[in-house]
This record gives sequence, C-alpha cells and structure tokens, in this order.
Amino acid sequence: MIRVSNLVKDHGPARILDGVSVTFGKGQVVGIVGPSGSGKSTLLRCINGLEQFQAGEVAVGDTITLTGSPTPPPKTTLLRLRRAVGMVFQQFNLFPHMTALGNIMSGPVYALGKARAEAEAIARRLLDRVGLADRAAAKPAQLSGGQQQRVAIARALAVNPAAILFDEPTSALDPKMSAEVMRVIDDLANDEQVQTTMVIVSHDIRPLLRIADVMVVLERGQVIYSGTVNDAPPGYLE
Amino acid sequence: MEHRLSLWVVAALAVTSGPAAAQEKKPLRWGTDPTGGAPYVYQDAAGTFIGFEVELADYLGQKLGRTPVMKAGDWDKLPQLLDRPADSPDAIDVVLNGYELKESLQSDYTATTPYYAYRLVLLTHKDADSLKDWKDLTPAAGPKRSVGVLNASAAYQYAKDRFADRVELAINPDVVTVIGLVRDRRLDATVQDNPAATYFLKETPALKAVGEPRQPGFYVIYTRKADTDLAAGLSDAIKDGLRDGTLRRIYQKYGLWNGDQEWLCYHQTGRWPADEDAGEEAASGEKVNPWPRMIRELLGAAGMTVFLSATSFPLAMLLGLLVALGRVYGPRWLAVPLGVYVEVLRGTPLLLQLYFVFYLLPGVIPVLTLSPLQAGIIGLAINYSAYEAENYRAGLLAIPRGQMEAALALGMTPLTAIRTVIVPQALRIVIPPVTNDFIALFKDTSVCSVILITELTRKYNELYNFNREYIAELAFVTAGLYLVMSYPMALLARWLEVRTSTKGERGA
Repeated sequence: MIRVSNLVKDHGPARILDGVSVTFGKGQVVGIVGPSGSGKSTLLRCINGLEQFQAGEVAVGDTITLTGSPTPPPKTTLLRLRRAVGMVFQQFNLFPHMTALGNIMSGPVYALGKARAEAEAIARRLLDRVGLADRAAAKPAQLSGGQQQRVAIARALAVNPAAILFDEPTSALDPKMSAEVMRVIDDLANDEQVQTTMVIVSHDIRPLLRIADVMVVLERGQVIYSGTVNDAPPGYLE
Repeated sequence: MEHRLSLWVVAALAVTSGPAAAQEKKPLRWGTDPTGGAPYVYQDAAGTFIGFEVELADYLGQKLGRTPVMKAGDWDKLPQLLDRPADSPDAIDVVLNGYELKESLQSDYTATTPYYAYRLVLLTHKDADSLKDWKDLTPAAGPKRSVGVLNASAAYQYAKDRFADRVELAINPDVVTVIGLVRDRRLDATVQDNPAATYFLKETPALKAVGEPRQPGFYVIYTRKADTDLAAGLSDAIKDGLRDGTLRRIYQKYGLWNGDQEWLCYHQTGRWPADEDAGEEAASGEKVNPWPRMIRELLGAAGMTVFLSATSFPLAMLLGLLVALGRVYGPRWLAVPLGVYVEVLRGTPLLLQLYFVFYLLPGVIPVLTLSPLQAGIIGLAINYSAYEAENYRAGLLAIPRGQMEAALALGMTPLTAIRTVIVPQALRIVIPPVTNDFIALFKDTSVCSVILITELTRKYNELYNFNREYIAELAFVTAGLYLVMSYPMALLARWLEVRTSTKGERGA
C-alpha cells in the first residue's frame, strides 16, 4: 500500500502539488488523470523519490516513509523506497548499451545483488510474459517503441516491486503500439498472481477506464476526485 | 664537447658579442647552444654571455674583420643550420661550440684546424667509494652502473663503444642536469669533456674525477662545404692565436690550458694519436653495414615507446575518468579544485611537467624520487588525464538524464548507476577522441627523452648524429615505425566502436 499525505511540491515560486493526499491499495490498478500541468507526472516522481518535495509524506507499507523537507532525504530511505516502487517512463529509458535481456537483468543484478544465472531466469520469464522471448538479444535500438516499452515494463517487474508507477507509458507510441502496451498492463492487472499495485498516468483514457480499479483526478496540483471509475466526474474522462 | 640540447627554438636568440662600433662589418654568425653551456658559452650574473668560445669568437671576428654574431640553436642540430641558405635570417656561417672533428661531419661540412684538444673525464660523487676508475663502471657483480652522457657526444659514442650493454646509459640533453643527477646520486657517474669537467668540479664540490682522462679528440669549427675561404681564414687565425699565445690566455682564464694544448701548438694538422684503449676499433679498417644494428636499436627504442604508451595511457584514462566523474557527479566544492587540475595540466607544457616530476619533485619531497621510467609514465599519465577528463566529461554530459533516473528507479545506488549505466555509455561516445589522444600520447612519449628515457625519437636522434649519411633513411624508417605502431590503434578504435555499438544484437 502507498499512502501520500499532504504532499507539497514547489518548483521555484510555482506550487506544483498542493497538499495531495491519496492512498493506493495493494494490488489495485489506479488511473491518474487530469489536464496537462496538473501535476500527475510530478506526483509519480515524488512517490518514487526522483523529485524532492517540500512537505508531506509518502509511505510505502508500514516500514518506508519519505518525509518532505527542503533538504535531500536520507539515501537509505530513498534506496528502500525505489526498490519497493518501480517506474516505467514515457520515453522508455532503456539502457541502449544493454540487450533487452540485459536491461531486465540489470535491476536484479545491480540493485538486488542476485546472481546472474538467477537474474537471467527471471528476465527470460518476464520477456516471455511481455511477448518478447525471441528478442532477448536485441538492443533497444532494434526494437519498436511498443516493444521497448514492454521491455521497460518487464525491467520494472524484475525487481519484484510492491508498486509500479507508469508515467504516460503510451504517449510516445502510435495507437497500435499503445494497444500492445496497454494489453500487457491489462494482462498484469488481471493476473491474480501479480499483487503489484499499478499507478498509471495516461492521456489514453479509454483503456485506462477498462483496467483501472480506482481513478484519481488532479487539477492544479490538487486531488479533486479519488474513487471508483464509475463515480468519477465525467468531464475528465473524455 | 657536448653540452646541451637546448629547448630553445632554433635561432630564437641572436646576440652580438662584438663591439657595437663594428656594426658596418660583415657579420660572422656563429652557431652555439648557450643553455647550460659553461664554460663554453654561458651567462654571467649580469646576463652577459661569457665563456672561452665567446672570447674565441671575438678573437676570430677581429682577425677576419667581421663582427661576431651569436646565434642560438639546439646543440646537436647546429650543423643543420649550416644547410640553410646563407641569406636566410636564421642561417649561420660557422658552428663553434665544442664540435669534435668527426668523419661523419667532414663529409658534409668543412672543418678548420683544431682550436682545442680535449679528453673525456669520468666524474662521480665524491662519496662513491666503489667507483675509483673506468673499469669500476662494469663491476663483476651487482646492478649495472648508470652513466649520464649527452646525446650525439663523443662521450656517448665512447661509452657505448667501450661498455655497450654493461652500463645503463642515461642520455640527457643538458650537462647541468646530468651533473645534478650525479651530485644527487641518482646517476652513478657521467662522462664529460675536460672543459665541462673542469668547470663543474670547481662549481660542484660533491663531485670528483676518477681514472685518467681518455679518448683525446679535437674541437674544430665547421663551415659550409663550399665556404673554403672562410674555413681557411679561420684556420689561419687559430694557428696565429696558438702561436702568439692569444688562445693560451683565453684558455688559461677558464682553467683549460693543459699539456694537450701545448702539443696542439706544434701539431695543428694530422690525427691525434689514439690512446691505449682506443686501439681496438682503430685496428679494424673494414666498414660494417650499420643497418642491422640501427634497425635493432630502433626496434628496441620503439618497444620503449610502446611500453610508455601502454602503461601511461590506461592510467591517464582512469585518472581522467575519476576527475570527470568528480566534476559532473561529485559535491559542488570538488568542482573547483578539479577544474584547476584540468586547466593547469592542459595549460602547461608536458615538457615542464616531466621536468617537475623528475627533477624538481625529489627536491621538495625526497620520497618521490622516481626513476626515469616511473617519472615518464606518471608524467604522461597526469598530463593526459586532463585531456581525458574533458573527453569523459563531455561523454557524461551527453547521456540523457532519463538514463540515470531509470537506473535509480530500479533501486540502484547512484554509484552503481554511474558504473553500470552511465560510464559504459559515456565511454562508447568518447572512443574517437580518446583514440585520438592515445595516438597523440604515443608520439608525445618522445618528450620523455628529457628525463633520460631512450625512446624512438631519441634513438633516431642518437643514430643520425653518428650516421649522418643515412639521415633521410633513418627519418623514413622512424616515421614508418610510428605509423606502423599507431595505425593499429585507429583500427582498434574502429573495432571498439562497432563492438560497443548500441545497434548490434548481442548476448546479455
């Protein structure tokens, strides 16, 4: 479970997030929507510790708490938080010097210290899971955008996080590739064995409505709705 | 005589040593290397050039009715200044700087009658009790003795012929430096012509001369081959000076008059008799093809060039990478000292840095007394680390920020992210400039000759000075060796670029 309480994030004189409080339950699929500039991506980056925030709190489970402060947070807290909360980026951010397999292995090997053989077994299983078992040796430059994003999802899953944050995972893709990626996310959401919380920021509303359990609507850095998809204000779901 | 391969640009300095009143007279442009050249040509406390050859030049100018004009150049390249057109501004008319009478020079230039008879003197530290004679240079047991000699000198040729590989010859362009190294006991001994030996024995109480002076020879003045009238005029002036005691007065003033000069007064022509230990080579009249030996020596020196490059460049890369990482990812306070490090090293000549590491550093921190090879490797590595730091910094800054974020989001520590994600990508980006620098360093190893290392360019210098008839061929072979050695680097770089390409399919 991820609990965000009264989170405040300033960027210079501008307030990006203004007292955001929201809770994501274990295994839930959460969609975050809102107009451009409402602070959706910034919220994800704060939850993952990629952005420092000035006040409030992010708690993951009962043991990891990141508190807002003008000074940088403790390194050990950041490390524990990031190992518990994975992230998938809009621009994929695959490591171009590694193969697809190497990218997925990088987390288990370099972050968790697993043996290469064990990491490779995990990586091959996940590649299969995202439908790219035959592209293990391909470098990112040899993959389509959709394939790259699927590798990025597998890479995030490889460290077995409690939650994965998807920051506009399909906005850099054409509709066909977007559909491929959303299908993978959908599969994960419907897999009962996967207990990972998935928080998805996307402008691609339609598939989001289909797979999300909960919708959060942000506007001007504030949560204006948090609840079921059916009750969400319709103006934000078009 | 042989004093110094100066670092000066050829003919950068022109100083008249004659009276101002003689301005209208035709000049007698005499080539010399005044750097560290006592007692031949050197500066007194007031900055005036003095020395027995300055006075000799004044005397000769007076006799010929010409105004002596001193022209400075690298000692071992002075004869090449005679090859320049006589009317060019940096040309000289004569080489007057302790040049020996040598067959290899006589074939290209005209030599005057000798103006001084010298012998080689073995100098060592006064406390070097185990070195009492020339034969002690090659003890039956223990490490080889290190003997400092000057490039292209008779002392170098003598030590090489007589002791071959049984001593460690340290070739240096500067007599003052060699003397300093013997004084500091970083060299066991040095072989010098007696004028230099006489001067430095007086100036450096820590030195002593051991054994009998050996291998007598003549100092002569060289002119252009076609300048026979000038050579004859100079010879007549020298003979007159010997006869009327002018040269005696000059030499006595510098403590250089001895029995050999008495002999010179009466035998101004003909060969100086070989002494007891010069007979072996003299007995053999058959000319041996020098190429097998020269090629062997060039290849040996090329090996040193490769060794210096192969050891110093990885160090430079490592240091450069650390500096670049410190500047890009380190704490803010570190950026300033690292920036100063880069700018100081990039902004000062490698030559000075090598001098500092080898000659000056031991005076400041005695524990950092390095061997020439150590100093060469470290000096090159430090110098090139500045350039590599900038290459790597550019490479690091070229990596998109998302790469670091993705690595951190996976739970890697910043250090692990840098090591496994950022640096490998940055290294791939900088392969072309780094290869370029490696090839540059490969050629810059030649600067290490100033700290007694004999690498390819130094060996070329040594060889052509004693084999001037092959000067072009030697240059061609040396350049060829550099090319043969550096071209594979370019191929290696290309291979690395392909190998590390982000586009090919490879295993994990």
